Amino acid sequence: MRVEVVMPQMGESVAEGTIIKWHKQPGDAIEKDEILLEISTDKVDSEIPSSHEGKLAEITVEEGKTVDVGTTIAYIETEKDADIESSDNGESEKAEVAEDTAERSEEATAPANGEQIETKGRSGKDFYSPLVRSIAAKENVSQSELESIEGTGIGGRVRKQDLLGYLESRGTKPAARPTKQVQAIKYTGPMENVDVVEMDNIRKSIAKHMRTSLDTSAHVYSVSEVDMSKIVAFREKHKAEFQRKEGFKLTYTPFIADATVRALKDFPRVNASVDMDKGEVLEKRFVNLGMAVAIEDGLIVPVIKGADERSFLGLARETHRLANKARDKELDPDDVQGGTFTITNPGIFGNLYGLPIINQPQLGILGVGAIKKRPVVINDAIAIRSMMYLTLSYDHRVLDGAVGGQFLQRIVQYLEEFDGEGIL
Amino acid sequence: MTQAELSELVKRSEFTPVAGLSAEDCVTLYYYMQLTRTFEMRLASFYRQGKMVGGVYLGTGNEATSVGATYTLEDRDILAPTHRDIGAHFVKGESLRAMALQLLGRAEGPTGGKDNGLHQGNKEINTLGMISHLGAMISVAAGAALASKIKKSGQVAIHFIGDGTSSIGDFHEGLNFASVMELPVVYIIENNQYAYSTPNSKQYACDWIAQRAHGFDMPGIVVDGTDVVEMYRVTKWAVERARRGEGPALIESQTMRMRGHSEHDSADYVPQKVMEKWEDKDPIDILKNYLRDWGVLTDVTREQIDEQIESEVEKAFEYALDAPVPEGPEAANGVYAR
Amino acid sequence: MAEITYIQAISEGLREEMQRDESVFLLGEDIGNYGGAFKVTKGFVEEFGEERVIDTPLAESAIFGMSIGAALQDMRPVAEMQFSDFVSTGFNQLVNNAAKIHYRWGAAVPMTVRMPTGGGVHGGPFHSQNTEAWFFHVPGLKLVAPSNPYDAKGLIKAAIRDKNPVLYFEHKYLYRREKQELSGDDFLVEIGKGRVAREGEDLTVLTYGSMVPTSLEAASHLESRIDVEVIDLRSLMPLDMELIIGSIKKTNKALIVHEDIKTGGIGAELSARITEEAFEWLDGPIRRVASIDTPVPFAPSLEEYFMPNPDKIAAGIQQLWDY
Ligand SMILES: Cc1ncc(C[n+]2csc(CCOP(=O)(O)OP(=O)(O)O)c2C)c(N)n1
Ligand SMILES: [Mg+2]
Repeated sequence: MRVEVVMPQMGESVAEGTIIKWHKQPGDAIEKDEILLEISTDKVDSEIPSSHEGKLAEITVEEGKTVDVGTTIAYIETEKDADIESSDNGESEKAEVAEDTAERSEEATAPANGEQIETKGRSGKDFYSPLVRSIAAKENVSQSELESIEGTGIGGRVRKQDLLGYLESRGTKPAARPTKQVQAIKYTGPMENVDVVEMDNIRKSIAKHMRTSLDTSAHVYSVSEVDMSKIVAFREKHKAEFQRKEGFKLTYTPFIADATVRALKDFPRVNASVDMDKGEVLEKRFVNLGMAVAIEDGLIVPVIKGADERSFLGLARETHRLANKARDKELDPDDVQGGTFTITNPGIFGNLYGLPIINQPQLGILGVGAIKKRPVVINDAIAIRSMMYLTLSYDHRVLDGAVGGQFLQRIVQYLEEFDGEGIL
Repeated sequence: MTQAELSELVKRSEFTPVAGLSAEDCVTLYYYMQLTRTFEMRLASFYRQGKMVGGVYLGTGNEATSVGATYTLEDRDILAPTHRDIGAHFVKGESLRAMALQLLGRAEGPTGGKDNGLHQGNKEINTLGMISHLGAMISVAAGAALASKIKKSGQVAIHFIGDGTSSIGDFHEGLNFASVMELPVVYIIENNQYAYSTPNSKQYACDWIAQRAHGFDMPGIVVDGTDVVEMYRVTKWAVERARRGEGPALIESQTMRMRGHSEHDSADYVPQKVMEKWEDKDPIDILKNYLRDWGVLTDVTREQIDEQIESEVEKAFEYALDAPVPEGPEAANGVYAR
Repeated sequence: MAEITYIQAISEGLREEMQRDESVFLLGEDIGNYGGAFKVTKGFVEEFGEERVIDTPLAESAIFGMSIGAALQDMRPVAEMQFSDFVSTGFNQLVNNAAKIHYRWGAAVPMTVRMPTGGGVHGGPFHSQNTEAWFFHVPGLKLVAPSNPYDAKGLIKAAIRDKNPVLYFEHKYLYRREKQELSGDDFLVEIGKGRVAREGEDLTVLTYGSMVPTSLEAASHLESRIDVEVIDLRSLMPLDMELIIGSIKKTNKALIVHEDIKTGGIGAELSARITEEAFEWLDGPIRRVASIDTPVPFAPSLEEYFMPNPDKIAAGIQQLWDY
């Protein structure tokens, strides 16, 4: 039978050993206790005698290699048959020990060390931890409210996460809990081929706002498609004359702004902000429309004040004026404040659509994709139309999917039904 | 082998007892020393074959000291051995099988796998189990002797102490107390020249450790610990003296630790010359020569004994290797006496 | 930067301090030519001479007594216990003499005691113990227990430079198992400061020494379900209560893990301190995973049962999380 030769442990703290020399080669006969190999550990060098008489069958670890204590380093083929021999093989016991402990580990884990400690006396449901009690006190959660909460702990105990979940759905500010301080992972590699660029203040404040927004709002997204063919045709027809009369180009922006403003009037809940502390949603009866503008090294969102009171032309002129001011870096603080809803244009670079981050404290932002000619099915026939994607990011804390979805569809509807009657 | 079996092999006609030892006694001493050597060499191999857990400490060179001194004891007497005294355990009556089970940490062994090495005690044969903390057993042995004195049981205790161990404070406390109370205890220094890597020159400044006996007002004797007959003779004298109520004694056996401190230690700090000198004084060879010279054992019969020992050792280990390891939860039991 | 083991880190720390400061010297059994039972001081006699690397007789009480005497004369002795278990034969000198001198008459005792500690190495009842709790109860001593090469080096250096008796618990199981790349810089790890070994939100494991890698392994097994924070205490006396309480206030659940036995261990004190300082922040009982209350058994099957391992810790974490 084949028996294993293992790397022995030569001292209490020794974890590995190196094979210096094999005194026998595969095929060689070997006597019991004859020197088989030499090993070295950082404590001692030693000659290892064979545990069996027989033939060296196989060497599994070559000279010069270092392996863990207990690793099989060779096999010896012995004359005796397995039954008799296994009794003399130290390895079989080791296997037994391992098995034995593996079997036990399941029940052993608990009583021996971790110890399954039962909460005696009070059942899980009746017992509230000091933390749950202190959060409840701070948040004015009454005893009967506490009792109504479904506990997910052992025995139905209300755990921290249960109470926090309850508070969230109740719409009250959860107990002050140190917010997660995420330690951003930093690049620590070599710097030779890395250019270091200082962040300016705009960049820093954008970074901060973006992060804050994601930490504040529960972002959800809806995407829709708009057939812009009518608007495209209208613009083609009027753009030269418009340019001559107004002195600037007719873009698609005022069309979209106009449709959005009208939809916002239909859905005041979207044109709102939220105060979680007080548990109030503030619906605005006016629309101040933010228009994201890409500038040299950043992005800024000037606001068209009173957008709901402006005509199509009025929207077009104000958009043009603010965009120019933005590019010239001449916006006043007032120009960028007070927005109630924002439109941004990821399509400007030809992309189909983007999923924008809400501009706090607003509840939604519309992302406008690129207009592209695409084959579409109309009345079971394929037609080529100028299509555009619209995406809406909105705050699920306050806006349900139904509201968000219908609001987006309303914009689509206004754009597709555009007739251009007397707008210029 | 039993005493009767050994007696069979002895040619007793031409022999006049030495130091009170009959021909049978001499053969029995040979048996225990050779048994010790054979047993320990097996352990050394097992260690290198990965069959042992933990360290292995051998008493090669110490056989005459351990066996010769313990051979002076009666069954009722008390033995407090230390970590190189497998031979003493055997003489006092520990079985080979129990010893093999103990050293392999098996469930059936005397400590059930809870403690390692030669740490077992055995109330039946009156051996006291040592702890690793060297020196701790010095006053424990004195305490056992105190009980004997109080009970007037006539028991004597022997305790073995390493040369290194003689440096610890407990040595002073124990010997002083034993002497003040005139206890029936015999302390035997196994001066094997080294304490781990530390040579005697760094361990103590006096010529002999036995000199210190003077300060405690007890006899201090230096013996050639490689000669089992001398070892027996001197210890016998001290034991009988103690039994008569004349108090403790300190015997210093000069011998050599012929291997590393434990099997992981190659002992390359021992100068080659020193090793060679002591190789000429192998206690077993010395006894072999006596037996031959005295005409007690022919080489042929001696080899017969050796073979018999081989097979006894083999059997004990065969049994022990096959014996079950302790069940994990057993770890929790036995902290308190019930 | 080369990778070094935990034990090499200790050697490097000692060597650097001896090179830096003439008053640093070592004493212990077999530490000279032999280089120590675990070879921590291998090559030191050649470099620093027998006067600064002293092979002592087998006498722990004298080793400590001599260290105290030398420290009172402005030397900085580092005493090595061959195994921390043997500290007991020198106990009085540490707890009644070294620990109380500054309080009594104002003299500093800048000595370090190296304590090769712990089980998992099949050493049996007298070569495997965790003895830190014996000293935790003694005002005047500082206790540190590194879990990795960086801390091992930084803490041995800090211990030597400290003006007080510092017991340095180095875990034998980690000696050749823990490896890390260390810069050659002269760095210290402040005594009294713990470390977040793994950041998490759901539950805090407070641990030290050999149980740090073991707990991290348990935490990574549970990663997909429970976000475990693991705090490596590093310093047992003084404890970094700010770090500990901060973490408990974040996760609201504390599991203490140590290799020492449960009763009267460091965990008992930690538990009391957390209840005193952060009771209202607890969302579950403070629990412990520790060795069972017996001597350290020898046979591997028994020792396995005796000690915590990743499975037992993971079970403890899961149960506390479910609470
Ligand atoms: C109190 C104590 N300190 C340290 C040790 C570690 N240790 C084990 S054996 C040994 C050397 C013992 O030497 P010696 O007393 O001469 O006995 P020998 O091993 O040479 O027979 C040492 C230092 C110990 N067991 N007990
Ligand atoms: Mg010695």
